[in-house]
Amino acid sequence: MKKIYFDYAATSPVDPRVIKAMLPYFSEKFGNPMSLHGFGQEAKLALEKSRKEIADFIGAEIKEIIFTGSATESNNSVLKGLAQANKEKGRHIIISQIEHPCVRESAKWLEKQGYQITRLPVDKYGLLNPRDLENAIKKDTILVSLIHASNEIGTIQPVKELGAACRQKGVLFHTDAVQSFGKIPIDVNKMNIDLLSASSHKIYGPKGVACLYIRKGIKIEPLLHGGGQESGLRSSTSNVPGIVGFAEAVRIAKKDMKKENLRLFRLSQKLIKGLLKIEGSHLNGHPQKKLPNINNFWFDFIEGESLVMQLDLEGIAASTGSACSSVTLEPSHVLMALGLKHQEAHGSLRISLGRWSKESEINYLIRVLPQIVENLRKISPFKTSFKFD
Amino acid sequence: MERNKGRKVVCAMSGGVDSSVAAALLKKEGFDVVGVFMKFWSDEDHSAKDCDYNRCCSPESERRAREVASILEIPFYVLNFKNEFKKRVVDYFLKTYKKGSTPNPCVVCNKEIKFGMLLEKAIKLQADFIATGHYARIKRKKNEVSLLRSQDRNKDQSYFLWTLSQKQLEKVLFPIGNYLRSEVEKMAEKLKLPFEGVKKSQEVCFVPKTLEEFLSKYLKNKAGEIVDRKGKTVGRHSGLWFYTLGQRKRIGLSGGPYYAIDKDFRRNRLIVSSNEKDLLREELVFTEVNWISGKEPDLPLEVKAKIRYRSQSASAVINKDQKHKVYSLRFKVAQRAVTPGQSVVFYKGEELLGGGIIL
Repeated sequence: MKKIYFDYAATSPVDPRVIKAMLPYFSEKFGNPMSLHGFGQEAKLALEKSRKEIADFIGAEIKEIIFTGSATESNNSVLKGLAQANKEKGRHIIISQIEHPCVRESAKWLEKQGYQITRLPVDKYGLLNPRDLENAIKKDTILVSLIHASNEIGTIQPVKELGAACRQKGVLFHTDAVQSFGKIPIDVNKMNIDLLSASSHKIYGPKGVACLYIRKGIKIEPLLHGGGQESGLRSSTSNVPGIVGFAEAVRIAKKDMKKENLRLFRLSQKLIKGLLKIEGSHLNGHPQKKLPNINNFWFDFIEGESLVMQLDLEGIAASTGSACSSVTLEPSHVLMALGLKHQEAHGSLRISLGRWSKESEINYLIRVLPQIVENLRKISPFKTSFKFD
Repeated sequence: MERNKGRKVVCAMSGGVDSSVAAALLKKEGFDVVGVFMKFWSDEDHSAKDCDYNRCCSPESERRAREVASILEIPFYVLNFKNEFKKRVVDYFLKTYKKGSTPNPCVVCNKEIKFGMLLEKAIKLQADFIATGHYARIKRKKNEVSLLRSQDRNKDQSYFLWTLSQKQLEKVLFPIGNYLRSEVEKMAEKLKLPFEGVKKSQEVCFVPKTLEEFLSKYLKNKAGEIVDRKGKTVGRHSGLWFYTLGQRKRIGLSGGPYYAIDKDFRRNRLIVSSNEKDLLREELVFTEVNWISGKEPDLPLEVKAKIRYRSQSASAVINKDQKHKVYSLRFKVAQRAVTPGQSVVFYKGEELLGGGIIL
C-alpha cells in the first residue's frame, strides 16, 4: 500500500544531505570537543562551526547559543533555570493557555514550588493580544514565555509586539519556536526575543538535539551540573554528530526557505479548499496568520481518534493534534482555549506537510477523506448513541 | 481463505498466547486483521516502589502485543479505555461489594468494554467483525447466531459471555474456540511468537495485590458480629466484604471449622455454621436476564446451569413468576454456596442459552 506522511509537525525524516554531513562524526572524527589533542580539536571545530551556522540564522551571537538534548530540555531550562536565578527578584511568570506540555508542566511544577503563574487566554483563532500581556505584567514578573507558532493549529503569534511589551516593562521574554524555527524567518533582535528554544528533528535533522538562545547578560541556573560544557549551562559530552546534523539541517532550511514556504503555502491552500468542501468541516486556527505547513480541521460528529486510525489503514499518517497527547483521550487544551466545545475538540485532525509532501498526496487525501468522514458519521456516538440493550 | 479476502477484523490483542494465536489464525484465514490493545484502568501508583499495573494491560503485555502484531505484519493500535473501564467496570465492582454481593467484573467488561466500546470502535473502522481470544464457539444459523461452549472443556469461557446479544454476536469471531489450549500453545510455538515465561492472567485484573487491600482502600470497613444460625454471637469480623460464601479459612473462630453461610448486611452480621450442609441450596432467584437468542424460551425449561466459572453445570429447571417477573432456578441436586451477585448461566447441550445475576 502507498504510504503518505502528513505528520511533519510530530517529527520529520532526516534529510539525506544531513545524514551525509553527520557520518564522518561517528567513527572518523569522533573526538570529544573538550579534549586538547587533535581528535578533540577536530570535533571542537565542527561544534563551533555548527553553533555559528545556527546563531547566524536567527541573528544571534555565537556565544548566545547553547546546545541541549531536546526542546523540552531547552524549555525546562528556561522556566526552571530563570525562576531559580531570579527568585529574589520575583516569583511571577506569564505563559499562555496554548503552550506545549513541556512549558505547561514546567510552569505547573513551579507553581507547586510557590511561583505564581498567569496563563494568558487566546482569541478564537488562537491569537494572543499584546495588550493582555501588558496588563498581566506585574512588578514581580520575572519571565514571559509564549509559544511562537502553535504545534497544533499553526497560528503564529505577534511575537515582535509581545516582545516589545516585555521590553518596555523590563521583563525577560522567551519564545518556544520549535514549530516556526526553520520554517519562517526569525530575528531575535528585530523581534525583541531574549530567549528562544528550537529543535532539530522538526526540520529534517536528527532527534536528540536542540538549542537554546540566551541573550548575553541573562543569568540562568543550569539543570545539569558537571564538566562545564556549553559555557557551564549544559554539562554533558557534546553530541557532535547530532549537532553537525542540526546545523546542516538549518543550512538547508535557510537556503530553501522562501521557495519551500511558497510551495507549502500553495499545497495547504489546496488542501484547505478541498477539505472545507466536506459538509460540517471547519478550519481551526487563523486562516492567514499561520505556518504554511500546519493545517488543523474539525468535523462535526466525528471523533478524531477514529478518523486517524481509519486514515492510517488507508496508508495516510495524520494526527489529532500533538503526538504527545495522543495517548490520552483528553481533548486538546489548545482547541479548548480557542473556545471549542468538548466534542468539537475531540473531532480534530491535524494535517502537517513537509519537504516531501506532493500535490498528488493532497489530491489523494481530498479524494478519500469525504467518504471516511461520511462512514464515521453514520455510526457517530455523538449523533446517535450506538447502544446495546 | 479467498472468501475472507477484504473482510476486516479488529482483533483484541492482550499480548497473551490466546489472543495472539487468534490474530494469527485470522490472518491465516485471509482476513484483513487489525490488532488493537486496550488500556484499562488500574490502581497504580507510579511513585510506589513496586508499581502495579493492570495485569491485562501492563506495559510488558503491550510491548508483547505490539511485537506479535509486527511479526504477523498487521496494523496495531492502542485504545485507551481507562476512564470508561473505571466508570463501567470498577465502579460497578465496588458498588456491588458495597451492596453486599459478589460481582463478576469480567462479565461486565465483556458486555461494556470488549463487546461494547471496542465493537463500536471497530464498526467505525468499517470492520466486519471483532475477534477475541475467548474460549467459546459461535455457530451461525440462517436467522440466528448461537454461542457454544469451547472445544476445550477445561478452558471454556462461555460463562463470561452470557450478556451478549444477537446484534453483538453477528459481529463476533472466536478464532481459538475450536482448539484445545494445548493446541493453541503449540501454534504459538510454531509461529515463533514470543511467550517464554508469560504468566496466565487469572485474578481480577485491576486489583494489584489482595482483594482485601483493594476493598479496604475504596470501601469503608465496618467491624461487626459473627453469629451462628440461631443468632448467637460467636465472634467479631472486620468487615463483611472480605468474606465469600462457603469460605472456611480466615474466619478466625476457635472450635471450627466454621463456614461463612450468609451475610446480613442490614445488621452487618456474618452468619457462620460448622455444618457444611448449611451451605447447600436447592433454589435460587435471579434477575437481569439475557437470552442469547433474543427471545425468551417457553418456561419452565429444563437446563444445565452453572453458578460460578469454576463449577460443574448441574441439572435444573427455570421458572418464572409471571406476576412479579422474577426468575427462579430449582436444582435437582442442591448446590453449595450460591453467591448473590455472581452470574448464573444456562446451557442446553453445547449451547449457551443465556444467564442472569443471582439475587
